[in-house]
Parts: sequence; C-alpha cells; structure tokens
Amino acid sequence: MNPTLLEEVPPPRRTPVRGVRETLQRRGARPSGRTYALLRWAGATLFASVVLALVVSLLVSSSQAFGHSGLSFFWSGTYNASKSIYPTGIFIIGTLITTTVAIVLAVPVGVGTAALLSEFAPKWLAGPLSIMIDLIAAVPSIVVGLWGLLVLTPVFAHHVEPFLKKVPVVEWFFHGAALGPSMLLAGTVLAVMILPTIVALSRTALASVAVEDREAARALGATRWQVVRTAVVPGARTGIEAAATLAVGRALGETIAVAMVIGNTYVLPHSLLAPGATLGSAIINNFAEASPGLDRSSVIGLVVVLLVMTALVNIGGQLLLRSRLRVKAA
Amino acid sequence: MTIDDNASVGPASGPDTGGGPGASGPGSSTAAVSLREVSVTFGSHRVVRDVDLDLVRNRVTALVGPSGCGKTTILRTVNRLHDDTGGKVTGRVLVGDLDVYARDTQPELVRSRVGMVFQRPNPFPTMSIFDNVVAGLRLNGVRSKSVLQEAAESALHHAALWDLVKDRLHSPAVKLSGGQQQRLCIARALAVEPEVLLMDEPCSALDPIATAKIEELIAHLATDVTIGLVTHNMFQATRVSDYTAVFLLGEDRATGELVEYGPTPVIFDAPSDPRTRAYVSGEVG
Amino acid sequence: MSIAVLPGDPGELTDPIGTRRELVRNSARRSLARRRLLGRIAIGLCVAATAVSLTPLVALAAYTTGRGLHALSWGFLTHIPTPPGIPGGGISNAIVGSVVIVGLASAMAIPVGIMAALFLIERRGRTANGLRFAADVLTGVPSIAIGIFAYAVFVEPLGHFSGLAGSFALAVLMSPIVIRASEAAMQSVPRDLWEAGLALGIRRSRVVRSVVLRGALPGLVTGNLLAVARAVGETAPLLFTVLGSQLFETNPLQPMAAMPLAIYSDSTAAFPAAQQIAWGAAFVLLVLVLVLSVVARLVSSRLNRQAH
Repeated sequence: MNPTLLEEVPPPRRTPVRGVRETLQRRGARPSGRTYALLRWAGATLFASVVLALVVSLLVSSSQAFGHSGLSFFWSGTYNASKSIYPTGIFIIGTLITTTVAIVLAVPVGVGTAALLSEFAPKWLAGPLSIMIDLIAAVPSIVVGLWGLLVLTPVFAHHVEPFLKKVPVVEWFFHGAALGPSMLLAGTVLAVMILPTIVALSRTALASVAVEDREAARALGATRWQVVRTAVVPGARTGIEAAATLAVGRALGETIAVAMVIGNTYVLPHSLLAPGATLGSAIINNFAEASPGLDRSSVIGLVVVLLVMTALVNIGGQLLLRSRLRVKAA
Repeated sequence: MTIDDNASVGPASGPDTGGGPGASGPGSSTAAVSLREVSVTFGSHRVVRDVDLDLVRNRVTALVGPSGCGKTTILRTVNRLHDDTGGKVTGRVLVGDLDVYARDTQPELVRSRVGMVFQRPNPFPTMSIFDNVVAGLRLNGVRSKSVLQEAAESALHHAALWDLVKDRLHSPAVKLSGGQQQRLCIARALAVEPEVLLMDEPCSALDPIATAKIEELIAHLATDVTIGLVTHNMFQATRVSDYTAVFLLGEDRATGELVEYGPTPVIFDAPSDPRTRAYVSGEVG
Repeated sequence: MSIAVLPGDPGELTDPIGTRRELVRNSARRSLARRRLLGRIAIGLCVAATAVSLTPLVALAAYTTGRGLHALSWGFLTHIPTPPGIPGGGISNAIVGSVVIVGLASAMAIPVGIMAALFLIERRGRTANGLRFAADVLTGVPSIAIGIFAYAVFVEPLGHFSGLAGSFALAVLMSPIVIRASEAAMQSVPRDLWEAGLALGIRRSRVVRSVVLRGALPGLVTGNLLAVARAVGETAPLLFTVLGSQLFETNPLQPMAAMPLAIYSDSTAAFPAAQQIAWGAAFVLLVLVLVLSVVARLVSSRLNRQAH
C-alpha cells in the first residue's frame, strides 16, 4: 500500500440518499415492501371512501324530501298533510338566534380573557389559568347539557330571566314568561362550550403580534393598555375573527346540550326568553319517531341543511381570511 | 469610559450653538442627554458596564462597535425601554434636567420627550400613513384635528416624505417601500417633537439608496433635534456624526464598555486608546 | 457618492421641529392620569372576563362532583338499572357498554388512521392534499350527522340497533383526529433519521417501524388517547345506533347501554332517583374523560423527556 496514495484519496462521501430510495422502491417489489405500501394505501382509501360514503348517504337519504318539496325545503320543510311538519325556516332562525347569543356572550368574554392571559397576567399565572379554561373543552357535551338542564334552568327561570326583564332598554329582548328553557339559556350553554376555542385562538393571535409593533407604540409614550389597544389588538384582529368563525362552526354542530335546554317548540320565538328549536334539536327529537319514507327523509334533509350552513360558515371564514391576507401582502 | 478632554476639537463652543464635549457635569446646557456610570444587567449577565456618555445638544452622536458590545442596550436606557425587557439599569440618566430613573419620573413622559427609530421599519400595519404619523400625538392625548394635520404635514416634510405621500395620506402605510417606511417611522417620531431622537441602526435593513437618503435626512434634522445613532457601519459614522462613542467588549469578553468618546474626526484619525485604534483600522471586530 | 434627493432644506418649507413641543409636552402630562386610569379599568374588565370564563368550569365541576358523589356507591357501579321508580339501580351495564363500544371504535379507527397518516407523510401532491381536506371536512361535520350515517349503513340493513353501529359511528368521528395527530407526531421526527435508516439499506417498512413510529410515539399516544377521551363522551352518534338498554349486554351485535345514553335518558326522566343516577353517571364519565386527558399528557411528556 502506498501511503502517499492513501493521503490523496478524499474521504468517502455519504451515499446520495435519493439513489438509495429509488433502489429500495425498485426492490419494493419484494413482498414485505409491497405489504407496507398496500397497508398505507388501504388506510388512505378506506378513510377517503368513508367520507365520501357519508356525504353520498346523506344526500341519497334526503333526496326524497328534496324531491318532494324542491328548494322550498330550505324554508318551509316538508308539508305532510297527515301529521308531522318540519318547518325548516323556524329551525334555521332558532339556530341563528342561539348562535348569535352564544357569540355575543363568548367573544367579548373570550377576547378579554385572552388579552389578560397574553398581555397582562404574569407568566406563572397565565399557564395554569389557560389550562383550566381548556379543560372546559374536554367536558363531554352531555355533561354540560345535564348541568344546563338541571342546574342552570331553575337558576335562569327564577333569577336571571326575571332580572333581565327589569333592565331598561334591553328588556325588549326579554319579554314573555320566564319559564327557564329558552333561546337565552341555549345560547348561554353554547357560549360556555365555545369559550375555550375563542380564548385559545385569540391568545395565539394576540401573542403573535410582533414585538416591533409593541415597541413602536411604547417608544411614543403609550401606557401598557394603549400599547394593547393601538398595536396589539388591531394586529390580532384577523386571528380573532378566525377564532370567532371557528367557534360559530362548533356552535352549529352542537346538538345534544342545546336539545336539552331549548324547550322544543316549533313556533317562531318572540323573545329570547321563549323556548324554540334549532336544526340540531329538531333532528334529535324527531329522528327516532320519524316513520320511514318521507318523514325520515325530511329529518335527514334537516341534517343536510345543517351541513350546508356549516359549510357556508367555513367558506365565509376562509374568504375573510384570504381577503385580509391580501390586504396585508399588498 | 471617559470623555476625551484632550482632543476637544469641535465646533465653536458657546451656549447657543451647543458646544463640545468635556463640558461639566449633568444638567449642562450643552448636553441634551447625560449618562453617568450606567450599567445594564439581564438576570446575572451584565451586558454593559459603567458608561459615561453625553449626547451633545443638536448634534449627532454615533455609538459604534461590534455586535453585542452594548450600544443598543445603552441607547435603550435613555427612553426606559428596559422597563419592558427585564433589564436592570443602574447609574444616572439625565434628559435635560430630568432624571430618567428617578422614582417619581413617569416613563411615559420620558418617552414623549425622547423618540426612537428602530432597526427594521415598523409602521403600524393596520393604519394609514396619516394615522401612523399622528399616532404618537394621539397616544399623548392630542385630539385637535387642525393640530394633527399641521403636525403631520410638518413631520412629513422633515422626513422628506411629504411630496411623495401628500396625495395618499389615507392609504395603508405598508404599501410604502422599506426606505419610505423607515422615513415614515422617522416622521412618526418627529411628530411628537422630541428633544432627542434615538436611532438604532436605522439603515441596516435598507438598500444603499434608501440608506443615503436617510443619512442626508439625519444631517438636516440635527439642527433641531439631538440625535443618538447606533451603527455598526464605521463609514456611516464618519459621514453623519459629530461625535462618536466606541463600544467594545471588555477584558472579560462578556461585558461591553465605552472605550473612547470624542469628536468624530479625532476618534477616527487620532484616537487615544489603542483598542479604538485597533477597531477603527479594522483589525478588531 | 452623494445622492441629491432632498429638495433643498425641508425645514424651509415648514415649521422647525419644536414649534409644538410645549403643546405636546403639556398634553402628554395632562392626559397621563386619564390614560392610566382607562388602562386600569380596561385591565379590570379583562380580569372580570377571566373570572366569568372560569366560573362555568368551577360550577360544572362542583355540581357534578357534589351531586354525583351522592349517587356513588359500590352498588351503583355494579348493578344494572332498576325499573322506574324503584331505587337501587346502577350503571354497570352502561360502563361495560361504553368500554366495549369505545374499544371497538378505537380498534377500527386507530389502525386505519395511523395507516392513512403514514400515507400522508410519504406522499405529496394532490392525493395527499385531498385526503387532508377530507379529514378537515369530517372534523366539521356535526356528530349527529355521523350517527345518522351509521344508522343508514348498519341499522337499516340489519334491521336492529347494535353496539357495533355505534362503534362504527364513533370510529368515523375519531378518524380525522387520529389522522391529524398521528401525522403531526410523525412529522416531528426529523427527516435525517429516516434517511439515515434508508441509506443503510434497511427496508422501508422496518425503518418506519423502528425509527418513525418509535420517535413519534409520544405524540401518537397523546393524540390517540385524546381521541378516545373524546369518543367516550359523545352522545349523538350513539343515539340512533346503539339505542341504549336496561340490560347487561356485552354482545356488540345487540343494542347496548352506554354512559352518555344513560345520562341522556335519565336526565329527562321525571323521577328524582333517575336524575340522581344521571348525576352519578355524569360524574363517572367526567372523571374518566379527565383521567384519560391527563394520562395522555403525562405519558407524552414522560416519553418526550426520555427521548431527549
């Protein structure tokens, strides 16, 4: 062996990985490699086909109802001369009212909480507090519904609702008998359930505002609150709007807890204290008894209406996000 | 570390024109800002130690040195930005007659007298050009529309931006180019009419043309405002500053210190301290 | 090189800096007290908001524990429900039913989900994006719709309700959670480790088994345990598939009891005894879900620490 020659030889380079991968893919013709690839494909295909089947199944099952009423199903539902009527329009209004109440309650409280946790609270406190708020999200909706039904309903009937009737100006929203189960109660229960989403996402949005913007406000002589108001909150607005949109989507899909506290009447509610129905509660309360055929198809039609509403909210949220990002990039 | 008395070659001294360094102690009419034995510590790490420095009234003072030697840290002691970052400041900082770190001094009031421009242009992204310029005034309670309008126009003139934006004052500030945004930030700082303007490497994120524009601006601004300019570019310091303070790492290689301070020509052509000589000739840093 | 870019001295065209200095200084000083006060009020409102946010959690926990503990007894956990009005019932059938149903659902969702996640990390492009989109869509679908879908697939053809139908519904509900969490966990394994394994000539499936799955284990465990915790508490998917039962039934091909269903039916019953059972079951369910969530996070932080 010539020592000089050895010195001149450069150290061996690492095997280019792409080459190896291609070799292995060719070698993947071996049974074990093929099995693995097959498993991956199987998982993906199975999942995709289930999602597809879900959409198809719901559309097929509801086709009878839509065929019967056409597009008017979205408003007046199915008119069945003999018995059940599914007034979709009333359910939609009920859904909109309860969701609006939930948002009106949850967004200010949620954003205020997020601001405290992100900007003002000391770090050692903010962590545990935010974990506690996240825990609400872990509580099953049936438990929230149970608490709403057995604990909140009497509280609302005896204390909250009579109180609201006496408050000037807003009392217009709260006229009528205060029986307990009501739009207001359902909206409140929904607010409790979407609060963790709003707090968590708003907190992220607030915290991600660049330090430079905060410092700019500070250097001009702003107080801590002024920094938050002029530099942080406007910068986080997009994120907070996204949080609210997501929360609306969650509220739309929440059926059990609402069904337990809304009172289930199919009349247009004349005040927030009136009982009513939402799409979700109507579905839950009618599916079991619906007779096969047009009846059941109509209830599934309500499911489709709910899905359409959820999709519209999501698309709206995406469009909003995209338009804001376009302004920022410009 | 010390004010360089021996080479006091500066513009003619006198109470009107602002005089040179070597002036007496704190409260002197020639120094708009005085630092005496200022040190800044973060946790257990002392970042910069025992700085004695003056920012001469209506002159440009450059703080130069390699990264990590404390120039920006010292700059930020003047407007108490370390209140937010957790840095502990010891020593005395005077802005005019005001003791910045006295117990009864309100930091917000200090900051309305001392403006700052940052390394990367940071106009408020959700605001228009006009709203950005008057943001400082609004934050300090000025509401009158006529005052805001006057102040905005004046500040934009001083930042050499008026002709460019006068027809689109209400368009979003983020549509301006980098250099223009930085001039907007200068206008924003100027609108509050500070006595002192601190500039922390204002050109480091900009291209050479934008940099040149801002350097010209600095020269014009200095007639009315005292300017403290942090820069890692020695040539920029020679171009725009009247006085230069050189910061280098001390013997322990962990804490920055002020090595020499004096009129710019002296520092660069005939420095007293051998470390300064090594730095300006490019041997070090 | 000097670039003449300024039209003369800008100061000539306007007032010098300092014209309004006194005005600004006075305004700053005079407004400071008000600004500080406004700040304190605003922060106070935020504190109030936080208190309001925490109240439901505290109230929920307090009432569920308070009323639930009342119902708790050994008999409660080991007996089946008694006919309405007769005291002494329990939820043993519901507990066992939930275990069976969720167990089956996990056995369906977790393997499929992990396999789909493996697909996602290996492939890029339209198929992968389509799959991710499908998972996102599914996350947004209300659980009642999933339950009705399961009804159409299992209950209608078979002609009767069954635990299996409920398991299927829960599996569909869990799958996007499993896929997302698994994909994230696997992606956190640095690519270099993979490629090192492949470069050594090891079979791809072996690399995945030893390197990726092992590295992603903390995230996988957490993600899947959280999916299970979510499934345990779901009611809507079970309403029209499992139906519920008063009897002790372990055969998933038959209608079974489940805890959320027991709570739902007992809560609306008129008898206070039934409501007490509902609270007891709610308490057990809550504890179960919280324990699962806490264990999930503990396991992942323990495994994370071991890995580093």
